[in-house]
Amino acid sequence: MKLTVNGRAHDLASDPLRPLLHVLRDELDVTGPKAGCQQGSCGTCTILVDGEARRSCLTPLALVDGAEVTTIEGLGDATRLNALQAAFHQYYGAQCGFCTSGMIVAAHALLERNPAPTRHDIQTALAGHICRCTGYVKILDAIEAVARGETFTETNGDRQPGVEESVAKTGVSG
Amino acid sequence: MTSEILLPTSQEEAIASFGDGGGLTVLGGGTALMPELAAGGPSGLRVLCLARAGLDGVSRSNGSVTIGAACPISALEELDEPLATAARHVADPEVRAQATVGGNICVEASAESPRGDLQAPLIALAATGRSSGAGGERTEPIENFLASRDGRLLLEVSYPDTSRVAGYAVARRPHAHHYPIMAACAARDSGTTRVAVTGAARTGHRCTSVEQALASGATADDAAARVVDDVAGELRDDALASAWYRERVMPTLVARALAQLEEGSA
Amino acid sequence: MKAVGARLPRYDGLGHVVGETTFVDDVRVPDGNLWARALRSPSHAARIVRLDTRKAAELPGVHGIVTHEDIPRNVYGHLEALGVPADEPLLAEDEVRYKGQPIAVVAADSEEEAQAAVEAIELELEERDTLFDIRKAFDPDAPKIHPWGNWFPYFGGPDEGPDRRKVRKGDIDKAFSDADTIVQGVYRPAAIEHCPTETQVALVVPEASGRLVIYSCTQAMYFSMGVVAAHLEVPLNKLKFVGGTVGGGFGGKVDTAAETLSGLLALKTDRAVKWRWTREEEFLASSTRAPWHMEIADAVTSDGWILGRKMLTLHDAGAYARFSPYGLTKHAFHHAGAYTIPNIHFDGFVVFTNRVPTTAMRGFGVTSVSFAVETHISRIANTLGLDPYEFRLKNANRVGDTTPNGVTLTDPSTVATIHAVAEAAGDTLAPEYAAMTSEPRSGPLLPDHLVTQQRDGRSAHA
Ligand SMILES: Cc1cc2nc3c(=O)[nH]c(=O)nc-3n(C[C@H](O)[C@H](O)[C@H](O)COP(=O)(O)OP(=O)(O)OC[C@H]3O[C@@H](n4cnc5c(N)ncnc54)[C@H](O)[C@@H]3O)c2cc1C
Ligand code: FES
Ligand code: FES
Repeated sequence: MKLTVNGRAHDLASDPLRPLLHVLRDELDVTGPKAGCQQGSCGTCTILVDGEARRSCLTPLALVDGAEVTTIEGLGDATRLNALQAAFHQYYGAQCGFCTSGMIVAAHALLERNPAPTRHDIQTALAGHICRCTGYVKILDAIEAVARGETFTETNGDRQPGVEESVAKTGVSG
Repeated sequence: MTSEILLPTSQEEAIASFGDGGGLTVLGGGTALMPELAAGGPSGLRVLCLARAGLDGVSRSNGSVTIGAACPISALEELDEPLATAARHVADPEVRAQATVGGNICVEASAESPRGDLQAPLIALAATGRSSGAGGERTEPIENFLASRDGRLLLEVSYPDTSRVAGYAVARRPHAHHYPIMAACAARDSGTTRVAVTGAARTGHRCTSVEQALASGATADDAAARVVDDVAGELRDDALASAWYRERVMPTLVARALAQLEEGSA
Repeated sequence: MKAVGARLPRYDGLGHVVGETTFVDDVRVPDGNLWARALRSPSHAARIVRLDTRKAAELPGVHGIVTHEDIPRNVYGHLEALGVPADEPLLAEDEVRYKGQPIAVVAADSEEEAQAAVEAIELELEERDTLFDIRKAFDPDAPKIHPWGNWFPYFGGPDEGPDRRKVRKGDIDKAFSDADTIVQGVYRPAAIEHCPTETQVALVVPEASGRLVIYSCTQAMYFSMGVVAAHLEVPLNKLKFVGGTVGGGFGGKVDTAAETLSGLLALKTDRAVKWRWTREEEFLASSTRAPWHMEIADAVTSDGWILGRKMLTLHDAGAYARFSPYGLTKHAFHHAGAYTIPNIHFDGFVVFTNRVPTTAMRGFGVTSVSFAVETHISRIANTLGLDPYEFRLKNANRVGDTTPNGVTLTDPSTVATIHAVAEAAGDTLAPEYAAMTSEPRSGPLLPDHLVTQQRDGRSAHA
């Protein structure tokens, strides 16, 4: 079976019924998608299959043979955040961070389909995603900020240092 | 043990691969099957995957609407009522984009929750199911298919393409999404009303007592109360709701669905 | 003071948004790891008649099985440092006391093989009577479900018996005979599962030196280290804990869950072992917030004073003590809330049931008692036909007031807090109430019944 993950092509001989989640995490070492429930109920394992948001724990490898898979790692890295990643960081949309990769990936799929969603549209699209930390408000704020075209490369008023500054502070590099 | 996967690329090939279904597990979207496997279900399965068999379309022709068994539930969200509303209430958008109509009709209810929320609206729409298996192909009312679906490969469902009024009422339980506990569906077509409930019994259930009461002139509320007879002895008791609760709430849902028929035809 | 009041970026936020944060399940070790699965009790209460792991051990992929016999020190108590004996076995020996209690753990090449081995372990149980309702624990015919009896017997502060937390202040009988009305209420907040999105997980890597490297999602690093060292009977320098990345805890990752057994499997197999609980295990067998049963009876006057309070708290510990005595102790401090009540009669018990052991969650013990107290205060105001703000403001703690435990308050914030609540709710207070402060009581705010309580106080710093 063939699979392209974040632009890299793979040839796989795994069990065709193996959940894509385990193929990604345990065979390809792509650990952004998380195993929160392995039952399709929490959304932490969400990835893009040919651009559409999918639960990788519910997806047998056989169903994605030949597909293009994108995970959180494929959307941007710490030196080049995509807008959603920057917004989640700036608006405190990530607290413990365990739901975050699934949330951002699902939000990305939404914005590709509908660049100007209402708050209700966002809630509906993320209905399958559980966050136990944030209470969701900051997540919705972050996605709305991207939808209305806010930019995140500069220091944003007195709210907090901009992303570049906090990259320097946290010492995280790509 | 590694599983073996069969990936037919046409309906004919799917029917031939399925044969009488012996030793085969059908894979629709996998949204019900995969959690069962993760929970330590059987390994080394022979799996017939319908994804490429050309069974995923919706068509309108010759007075009927036909939905392929591998059609994703998300494709029904703007179709005819009460099917469309029922479809929008299944799981969440990501699961709906992957889960299939065939999987929803063929899935067994689990110990924790009822599944198969599309069964009742399809019964209300007087849908038929076309399936293959031992003894060849057969087309029958969906409620009959539900009673004898073991060993069958569901190929498609169709219902008459007429204008009708419809009603849908649901009790839900908050989850990440809102999971339907049970729902009542009603559809009225040229004076005849069909009523079905989901989440009450083992499968979607046609409410003949309610229908008969309506036909003999009972008020909607009196007719709705008869749903208790229709599901007597079959009420589910699970993690979402007790049988006690279901018995008490079901008549109200049926009454609400019937009330929508009156609003719709007014 | 650059940080106070400023909105700073999360120190770990960048890693989260790009998927680079390394949670325990994301740690990779060079030769890979074995996977652990547990045999858990299918019964709420039973005697273990037979446990046989021989067939399971022969299955393909299985590297090791640990039962209570393999554990240097199986029974350990969370409060041993305070002199409370141990009651909880890491793996059940002869009794199981809650559904989901671990009995054996298996390490195998894959989760599937480990699970198959768990299912091949032969277990024979003899069912026992169960107790789930804490109110029935004291009945003479209640089943005895814990070796110590049905409630915790090791309190014994200077003024209390060993079996309860006990607070007595003032003259409770006089308060009740002077009262115009007695207002009673029963409050029963339910158990809550913390439900972190990351389930309990540990990865333990044995080093050639015999030291164990333990990747842990614990919220209580040094405490967990002590627990593991106690069970393994090794000095702390034989353990290296790597933690600090927790996929949600909320108190549920205070009790040590997966580390010790993973460590034992790693020692037995000399391989790295990962144990990642399933979501079902998390719901079934991880600790929850405790359910409580609280009864309050207050002696009140028609003009809105609380003369005395009688309160009973039953704290559901589940099957073992863990930290529950500590949680109950919060009730002994907080049962008057932020109000001044001169006469007090409080009894609190930690009760054992056949539930999963309960633990901290977001304000261990304080949230439950505060819920009861504030609801009760509103109930009194309703009963007396008084404005709930005014009733609260009158009885609110002032400088010089004393708590049920006799501590004299020097800087209470109740009045200011109630003012802020009224403002946030858009409610206007009558001028004399809006003008109230936390200054020491005098005039109409110092009725006779509050004079002595002020005299009897002692400093919090004494
Ligand atoms: C988070 C979550 C939420 C859910 N919420 C709901 C809900 O609200 N309502 C609801 O009804 N369900 C719900 N489900 C259950 C499930 O997703 C649906 O019932 C879904 O429609 C199943 O379809 P599938 O194609 O994914 O089935 P699959 O998992 O592929 O198959 C399910 C069963 O049907 C059989 N099968 C599939 N297709 C055919 C066919 N054509 N012929 C014969 N047999 C076939 C399979 O062998 C299997 O036994 C939920 C599931 C999850 C994970
Ligand atoms: S791990 Fe896939 S939805 Fe929870
Ligand atoms: S940030 Fe912790 S679960 Fe969402």
